[in-house]
Amino acid sequence: MANNKKAKKPKPALVLGVLSVVLLVLVIIFFAGGGREKVERFIDANVPKTPAVAGEPAATKTVTLFFLDDDDDFLHRETRQVAAGPTAAEEAERAIAELIKGSEKGLLSPLPPQTKVRQVFIGKDGVATVDLSREVAEKFSYGSTMELAAVYAIVNTLAFNFKAVKKVVILVEGAEKETLGGHVDLTRAFLPDYSLVAR
Amino acid sequence: MRDPIDRTARGAVLAVALLAALAVCSVSGQAPAEQGQRIQTMVIDPGHGGMETGAKGKFGNLEKDITLAISLKLKALVERNMGFEVVLTRDKDVDVSVENRSAIANNRKAGLFISIHANGAVQKKAAGSETFFLSLNATDEETRRLAYLENNSSALQSRIDPSSDDDLMMILWDMAQTAYIKQSSQLAELVQEELDALLGTKNRGIKQAPFKILAGVACPAILVEAAFISNPEEEQKLASEDFQVKVAEAIYRGLARYLRMPT
Repeated sequence: MANNKKAKKPKPALVLGVLSVVLLVLVIIFFAGGGREKVERFIDANVPKTPAVAGEPAATKTVTLFFLDDDDDFLHRETRQVAAGPTAAEEAERAIAELIKGSEKGLLSPLPPQTKVRQVFIGKDGVATVDLSREVAEKFSYGSTMELAAVYAIVNTLAFNFKAVKKVVILVEGAEKETLGGHVDLTRAFLPDYSLVAR
Repeated sequence: MRDPIDRTARGAVLAVALLAALAVCSVSGQAPAEQGQRIQTMVIDPGHGGMETGAKGKFGNLEKDITLAISLKLKALVERNMGFEVVLTRDKDVDVSVENRSAIANNRKAGLFISIHANGAVQKKAAGSETFFLSLNATDEETRRLAYLENNSSALQSRIDPSSDDDLMMILWDMAQTAYIKQSSQLAELVQEELDALLGTKNRGIKQAPFKILAGVACPAILVEAAFISNPEEEQKLASEDFQVKVAEAIYRGLARYLRMPT
């Protein structure tokens, strides 16, 4: 028994020693370059870009929105200026808000005008998540043709204007919803579909 | 939109797994000569219902009422003239979730699924009839799922048990329609031809769309948009007994032609 205890005693000290060496190495790695790598990895669409020139007048970004025409089923482009930066996600929020606000050229928006953009998040995997207020579904009383137009107006607006966006997920009040009005499946991520856009 | 053929080929592999594992569509032992011979039950889905009224017309007509009226007429026609059972996803004005609608079809081992709707648009001029079948919203995730299923299809047949692996079951149900895209497109085409011949509405053709109701159904499935309730002229038609009978008759004729097709 006594022998056993003596043989075991140095062990905790050894473990502690090894741990502190490992810690030291990790700290060195972190400060020597790992840290910068980590910071770079987190620079994506959700983190503010460094302003190009300080003191420059408020920059704008031209975005292309997609609306409906009275005469056909296609989505039609309309460009609009939104305030630029600081993040692509915030620009995306403004673009979707403009889409909901509607056309300035007499085109029609398939989205209920009461809808509010709660948030747009752009993930590093290229998936943009758009969170809309409940009105987008509650006030949606059209048929499947309009539901397709509504979904792809959002999806195409995001994918067309923001390079980081490859796919779009639509949430309502922060949660997954089956459909807006009983037709188009919202539980999957959408790829843009430009075949719905007028030439 | 997206090319369904490549998906259909992949879907064939999935079909083996689905049919064996879930036994969702009723298939007899021998290869049947006609599409119709393998069907024992068909499901008709009157779109919307209850609190969920669907599209609204200027004169106050609601999509949910029109879809139910047409569905009941179609059910009567099929039951009178065809040798199989017809199940409705709802036979009165009640809410049924999209998920439950496809579950009804799958639980009853439906061999055919027809969802009936009336369209609505912000454009007052929008008019006409069209028939949809599923377009899979092809994403990376989808590709990964398909790859998973292809690689594991033989293993799936022996180990599927509804309670064992919820995620796997979700994937399978989610992808149920993949195997039937080609048949669904044929059914859509024939029904659309008959709608065009009988209704006198503008022919908007057959289209593919990522509709939730079609995705979860494990048999050929289409969604018919009879006409636009948002168009005052078409709303009057949709609300009339005469037009509703014609819609049911057109779908019935398309269905009859589909059932005679060789498999």
